[in-house]
Amino acid sequence: MVNLKIDGQEVAVPDGTTVLRAAQSVGVSIPTLCDHKELAPYGGCRMCLVEVEGARTLQPSCTLPASSNMVVLTNTPKVREARKFVLSLIFSERNHFCMYCPVSGGDCELQNSAYDEGMTHWPLQPNWQPFPMDASHEDFVLDNNRCILCRRCIRACGELVGNFTLGVEERGASTLVIADLGIPLGESTCIGCGTCVQVCPTGSLIDRAGVYQGREKDVTRIKTTCVGCNVGCGAEAIVRDNRLVRIEGDWNAPVNEGLLCQIGRFEPMKETRERLVTPLVRKDGALQAATWDEALDVVAGKLKPLAGANGTGIAAVASSRMPAEALHGFEQLFGAKLGSPMVTSLEPQVATPLQANGLDALKAADCVLVAGADLTVQHQVLGFFVKRNLPKGTRLIVVDSVATGLTEIADKALIAPLGAEAQTLAGVAADPAVAKLMAGATKPVIVVGKSVYWEAAVKLAGALNATLVNAQGAANSMAAAMYKLDKPFDPQGRQAVFVALGDAPVSSALAQKIEGAPFIAVQASYVSQVTAMADVVLPVEMWAEQDGHYLNIEGRWQEAHRGINAPADVWANEKVFEALAERVGVTLDGSWDPK
Amino acid sequence: MAKPKVSMDWLAGCAGCEMSLLDMDERIVAVANLVDIRSTPITDLKVPDESGVDVGILSGAVNNTYNEEVAHRMRSRSKCLVSLGDCAVFGGVVAMRNFFKLEDALKRAYVETESTDSEGFVPSDPELCIPTEVRAVSDIVKVDVNVPGCPPDADVIFYVLSELGQGRIPELKGDKLHWH
Repeated sequence: MVNLKIDGQEVAVPDGTTVLRAAQSVGVSIPTLCDHKELAPYGGCRMCLVEVEGARTLQPSCTLPASSNMVVLTNTPKVREARKFVLSLIFSERNHFCMYCPVSGGDCELQNSAYDEGMTHWPLQPNWQPFPMDASHEDFVLDNNRCILCRRCIRACGELVGNFTLGVEERGASTLVIADLGIPLGESTCIGCGTCVQVCPTGSLIDRAGVYQGREKDVTRIKTTCVGCNVGCGAEAIVRDNRLVRIEGDWNAPVNEGLLCQIGRFEPMKETRERLVTPLVRKDGALQAATWDEALDVVAGKLKPLAGANGTGIAAVASSRMPAEALHGFEQLFGAKLGSPMVTSLEPQVATPLQANGLDALKAADCVLVAGADLTVQHQVLGFFVKRNLPKGTRLIVVDSVATGLTEIADKALIAPLGAEAQTLAGVAADPAVAKLMAGATKPVIVVGKSVYWEAAVKLAGALNATLVNAQGAANSMAAAMYKLDKPFDPQGRQAVFVALGDAPVSSALAQKIEGAPFIAVQASYVSQVTAMADVVLPVEMWAEQDGHYLNIEGRWQEAHRGINAPADVWANEKVFEALAERVGVTLDGSWDPK
Repeated sequence: MAKPKVSMDWLAGCAGCEMSLLDMDERIVAVANLVDIRSTPITDLKVPDESGVDVGILSGAVNNTYNEEVAHRMRSRSKCLVSLGDCAVFGGVVAMRNFFKLEDALKRAYVETESTDSEGFVPSDPELCIPTEVRAVSDIVKVDVNVPGCPPDADVIFYVLSELGQGRIPELKGDKLHWH
């Protein structure tokens, strides 16, 4: 511990703490621009200059380690004058005209800093040098004219995401943020996770969908859980007037610590499917609008006589994007109460013992073996945790039957021939190169992306004392497996098929499977190939409209919260199962919560 | 004590600041009672008294040699010069032109506009003032009070004018300080 004095306050902090963090720990606020709590100190903007007794010049508090008996003053006339000067220089460098910037009016850290210093004008006029603008990316725009060169985006891209796409070219006032070696962002190695947009303090990186849709003071942030996969990233749905404006990662979420991938951040904003807003019942060959009573009566009338009809009765399948409450109700109704043996989820999942803290282990791993998972495509945030540690010396071994996005950056990649995946993984330690990489690893982690590798991975993990991470399935696959919704879906020979899709996308394989079934009921948020085949369609909430619980890959129960209200005639998924249960004369038992 | 004499003029702007001034509604009567309004663009008197005024207010950016002349005249005849609005304070929206070449901007305005026929040309009559790079008023003359905002809120303008009307220099901070 070191003891120092900041603005007269005695402060005790652990060795290595910066003066900035020490000040923040006792509520002394020092203005900053390049600092970000998730990023390593950089010392680029000089806004955080403080006076240190005995030091010849003002010191940047963000990079200055606190030392014993240091006396720091953060708000002297000299410090305030320096801040104004720093701001004057930043404003003079580029186009920082607030009146035509989307973040002006409360959302710009640069403008807010100027307000805090009481600046009514710029002592120096800009130099009018136009800088390039890169609008080649489908999700966001990079405007170098607004850039203050704090390098938060570049640091986030490397330190947090491990993608190392962003960098700078040129020097001094001509410095430019670029992608790769100066190619358009849209053609670069950028994976579109948007972390750079979330950390940008000015309007230099702006999100296409959310721009000009409302400032921080106009919107509401609702903490929820991303349903893109079962990593279970904490996200914030940013809404205004019952409309989704933007999605951001939640910096305080233990799982992802602020990160999201493109699937979580930008894809949900591009929803173009037609919304189902009223129940539909097929009459005279065509789907026609109906009341909930009518639609539920038709479904219940079909289901009730089929109760307990083993093998020929009902086949029911649910998307595991639905909350636990809905999955539990679904299993209770179709499995426990109506007695159908074919009740499952769309993403059948190997039931695996949940490995608590698997993600913390992955974040800290010194050797990672990835078997059958392309973490640049699925469960991408896990990929971030791996990739960002590679420069720190973490070794990466990949076993897969095809080349994946990780193959090229792996220390060793082994191709597992189709049909011999398990054997390849089982024999992996015999490979001299792998053995060398694994030797001395004290915190190894094995990430498994396909069931065929599972058993071999469990054995290997036992032998290596490694932590296992099961990177399979959709948002609530772990919960679905817990409710035994884990067999392959086969509706062959059933008289009625119930598909609880929620807002999940539809595969043509599913459509082919249920084609020709005598009766099809579909519970969905959007019009699809499958709803077109249905006899009854029941409209339900999509992810941003529902409350519920999700079980992530490390067995952590997390909450999803309603950000926007569903259209008037749209129901919650679980409410549909409850209403059907009432109509077929059964009661749904138990709770979704295993405790 | 005699009421402070106030003159106002506009440079390259959109009159949005003047709209915002009118937006103070009935409070404008109180302000008018506090001061002796001399020249404005909408009064018969167009230029400040040669004998000088207490407060000179300029809105808009300095865009050409005529604006420069107006700014110099206002400065030399005012005890206290106020820049009103983002254009006067920073260059504002008008200053977007500085990121292009002046010739390109003129060509775009007088020749290439969709509504201009083949006869379009950039005016060059020697009687006309000469367009320059866009500058803030403080780049031309010394400014005593900067009132940023695009436009400044009516409340801010009311505060500034009532302070000046009572012989005090307004201090903009906290919720009175906005640039956009």
